[in-house]
Amino acid sequence: MVGVIIFGFVLIGGIELYCWPQRPWKEVLAYLLLLGLAAALSVTIYLVPDLPVPEPLAFLAKLIMRLWQGGGK
Amino acid sequence: MKELIPTRQGIALVALFTIGNSFIYGMAPHAGRDLWLSFLLAAVIALPLITIYARLHSLTYGQTLSEALTQLFGKWPSRAVALGYSLFAWRLACLVVGDLTSFVQTTSLTQTPQIVVAAGFIILALWIVKYGTEVLARWSSIMIVIVVGIILGTLVLMWSEVSFEAFLPIMYDGFKPVILGAFQVLDFPLLEPVIFFWVLDALPEKKSSYKVFLIGSLMATSFLMIIATISLSVLGADKYVSYYFPIFMATARIDVANFLTRMELVVGVTIALSGFLKIAVCVLVASKALAHALGFKDYRFLVTPVALSIVPGSQWFVQTIMGIVESGTKIASPSDVFMQVVVPLLLWITAEIRISKQGENKAGKPNSI
Repeated sequence: MVGVIIFGFVLIGGIELYCWPQRPWKEVLAYLLLLGLAAALSVTIYLVPDLPVPEPLAFLAKLIMRLWQGGGK
Repeated sequence: MKELIPTRQGIALVALFTIGNSFIYGMAPHAGRDLWLSFLLAAVIALPLITIYARLHSLTYGQTLSEALTQLFGKWPSRAVALGYSLFAWRLACLVVGDLTSFVQTTSLTQTPQIVVAAGFIILALWIVKYGTEVLARWSSIMIVIVVGIILGTLVLMWSEVSFEAFLPIMYDGFKPVILGAFQVLDFPLLEPVIFFWVLDALPEKKSSYKVFLIGSLMATSFLMIIATISLSVLGADKYVSYYFPIFMATARIDVANFLTRMELVVGVTIALSGFLKIAVCVLVASKALAHALGFKDYRFLVTPVALSIVPGSQWFVQTIMGIVESGTKIASPSDVFMQVVVPLLLWITAEIRISKQGENKAGKPNSI
């Protein structure tokens, strides 16, 4: 299944890049990098379904909960 | 390239985006039978903030947000703000896709994997976003008539089931549930139009942003309040709070002379239409803001990877129907408050200070950044 996911992303990327009228290297690089990230996320979610979601501001929620007991529950 | 959006289409875009996928949930569940008060309170709190969004857009009239941000904060801080909004819009798109796929799987396509439905929505969103904001605005100006017409028609058919006694006694549990309900409605969906900074590049007049933001938001708020109150009056407060999709269950009760039944399917279609627009706007904003963050002028080449990453993202953020309803009806999360309240306030204050300084230096010149 991992192979199918990666093949799908390669296929989409290949076809879309082929259809571009011009291919400036900066845009191609950014496109491939982002497509690679999307593929990596897909594979990771497939392999680790319970992947924890990052919550950079979660400490603020905890602080507010502590200040206002029962708030947000 | 600036994409000109007529005021009327801008209003439709903001209203349909705000309606989006939110009306499938029991909004303001903490308030119970006092949810109408929560909506009114939320509207009163939202009004100044939405006016600030409009004011900020008006101050940067004639420029895209990318250009205005660069002038306000300089190159790198503006890119950091853009990256923040890109991630915010991407996360919102993931949540909306997760909501819609779960809704479809729960109510009709029970054996179909969620990823198939998600891919369908994303391919359509990708297609319309590649055509740009103008097409999106034209589409929404047509679809808002259909969505609002169908829902209001359905609500009229429900009228025989309505019992206003469901709202009594008023504020029996005090004011706290009303406040909690108001914060929930503010977080999702009343302040979500904050991402429209990135959508509305060019409006016909400087004052158009006030009409677009205020009229669009007020239309959506009134519409959502009517849906929520009528659903509650049909189902009763206890069932409204306990059902995952109260509007769906309320419309299922429609039975006109054993002839006109199963109207919940029509509601399902309208949810798909308005939810699709919300996904498309989020994809557009995520791509545009990311293009600015990476230093590119055009955003269209980034749409495909951004849109494709939303499919796994929708399976990541929320995995169960309970989790989805919890995320939809939670009280304001810190990241949402930061992007919907703190950052716009900072941008607005900075813009006002810059303009007042420019006004002192160049008296008589137009007061935009």
